[in-house]
Amino acid sequence: MGQVSIGIDCGSAACKGVLFLDGAVKAATVRPTGWNPKETAKAVLDELIVKAGAKREELSITATGYGRVGIDFAERKVTEITCHALGADFILPGVRTVVDIGGQDSKVISVKDGKVQSFQMNDKCAAGTGRFLEMSAHRMGVDMSGFAALLKEGKSCAISSMCAVFADSEIVSLLASGKSREEVAGGIVNSVAARTAALAARIEMESPILLTGGLSELVGLKKALEVQFQLPVITSELSRFAGAIGAARKGLS
Amino acid sequence: MVELKTQLPRIFDSFAQARQDGFLAMKKLKDSGTGVVGQFCTYTPQEIFMAAGLVTVGLCATSDETIPDAEKDLPSNLCPLIKSSYGFAITDKCPYMYFSDLVVGETTCDGKVKMYELLGKIKNVHILELPKRQNTPQAKALWREELVRLKERVEKDFHVTITDEMLQEAIRRRNMERKLLKELYELSTLTPPPLTGMRQLQVLFGAQFKFNWEEKIKEIGNAIAGIRQAYDAGERPVPASAPRILVTGCPIGGVTEKVVRVIEEAGGVVVVFENCTGAKQMDRQCREEGDPLTNIADHYLQIGCAVMTPDTNRFELLERLCEQFHIDGVVEMTLQACHPYAVEAHSVKLFMQERNIPYLQLETDYSTADIGQLSTRAGAFVEML
Repeated sequence: MGQVSIGIDCGSAACKGVLFLDGAVKAATVRPTGWNPKETAKAVLDELIVKAGAKREELSITATGYGRVGIDFAERKVTEITCHALGADFILPGVRTVVDIGGQDSKVISVKDGKVQSFQMNDKCAAGTGRFLEMSAHRMGVDMSGFAALLKEGKSCAISSMCAVFADSEIVSLLASGKSREEVAGGIVNSVAARTAALAARIEMESPILLTGGLSELVGLKKALEVQFQLPVITSELSRFAGAIGAARKGLS
Repeated sequence: MVELKTQLPRIFDSFAQARQDGFLAMKKLKDSGTGVVGQFCTYTPQEIFMAAGLVTVGLCATSDETIPDAEKDLPSNLCPLIKSSYGFAITDKCPYMYFSDLVVGETTCDGKVKMYELLGKIKNVHILELPKRQNTPQAKALWREELVRLKERVEKDFHVTITDEMLQEAIRRRNMERKLLKELYELSTLTPPPLTGMRQLQVLFGAQFKFNWEEKIKEIGNAIAGIRQAYDAGERPVPASAPRILVTGCPIGGVTEKVVRVIEEAGGVVVVFENCTGAKQMDRQCREEGDPLTNIADHYLQIGCAVMTPDTNRFELLERLCEQFHIDGVVEMTLQACHPYAVEAHSVKLFMQERNIPYLQLETDYSTADIGQLSTRAGAFVEML
């Protein structure tokens, strides 16, 4: 076996892991972070080892994400901003902007040759994050795949609240006033996209733009971001593993 | 004349040991007949109090303990430094605020100015009108007039006479203190620096709570000698590869040490502070020849702070420090709802961009709830350098 590197991206919502061998992703897995990030990360590691038939001794492990602090079996810990940039450059070589909407953070990163040039993150506020979308979906009685289905027709309505807590009660009144769930879901996604565009306006955004993180699979969000940015946004099936891939690459460098 | 406060506050018995010790130390000072002046700002001309034989203490609070009390009177969306300082005043929980016989404030930012009005209801407060311009003859004349008024207030409240000779001696002493503290932080021009930013901040911050001048001077001198000796003996507390960070922005110390901690835990090193407790205050010497009150007025008015417009001196100092300390990155700490620094942050960002120096703004408050977010931001910044 060649050089094996494992990257674990333990976020506030999901824990992602990839096993990197000879410059390619050999195995990838994801599970909910739950209440014990350390144990979840260990389970992710074990699963990757079994999948790839690797030996524990020959592995180099790099941890990133909010849970990285507790992952004591990792050789090194790197912030998710550095990892997302490095991972995005693997998924889409030459990427210049990375947009990551995570569980409790959203960030826009300016990248060159896989290196962070500058970055902007949301302030200490849930509005515009994945948690906000999840909470809103829950309010409408659907899970994230149900939420994605609501976005298919591209309907929308205006959500004016800037605060996640107030937006939550606004959703309730919009539904009560007879707006359809499709319209409200569209409004929510647009408000997240508008928040992200406000962050992006503070750095120099250049194409190509890659959307990473768990929400990259939400087609409606990608479309809403394209409208806000007035630029094409690219996603990939590896997007949700961008942080983990970046961590694994960091372990090789 | 004011009556010097010497009794302990009524809630003294409820305090933990460390706080009781703080009160008892101040009481001892008060029992010896020494008057105490509390100040908030680097613009306060300490020489005047020193000349009068008074002890000066810093009243800018640095913990969130009394913020809930303060929010009974003040809006929650206000700078934590203002809320916390006011909170300590109304709860009698800070020995320095409690034992201050006179509290001096300036017309710096709007939040402080209005808070001082409320503070004036419970403490003996004197407000100096600080101009927003630094170079017009009118501003200079006004500020000197204000210092005359302050001198007269001190003479009346503490029943003393302050002569020019006393002021000259105070200028000489304060200059020596500035020179020594500058010598201390300039040790970090070395690569690698002989001390961490945490250590540097603790010395700079701690210096304002040492009330015996001779002892303070000796301690700072010993600290410099100790650091030099250890470095010469080969001790390297910071690796040579650590990116060198300049910290700027709002007053730092106490709970906001967290900003320095996250930078240094991420592998960077803070080599210089362009904050009130750092270079802002120590960088220049006060002129010693000529009319002492004019010299003091001229000296203090030139401090670069975001309350001034235009704030040319701050940018001049930032540029000089970036070169002198071989800065790899600048981190600006702004406190929530501090409009002067938060708005000026954009100008600092552009200023650094023009000089190709990476810049990061971190907004924080007096809580510890944002350590995770701060360390991710600071960590990514250090990794980027």
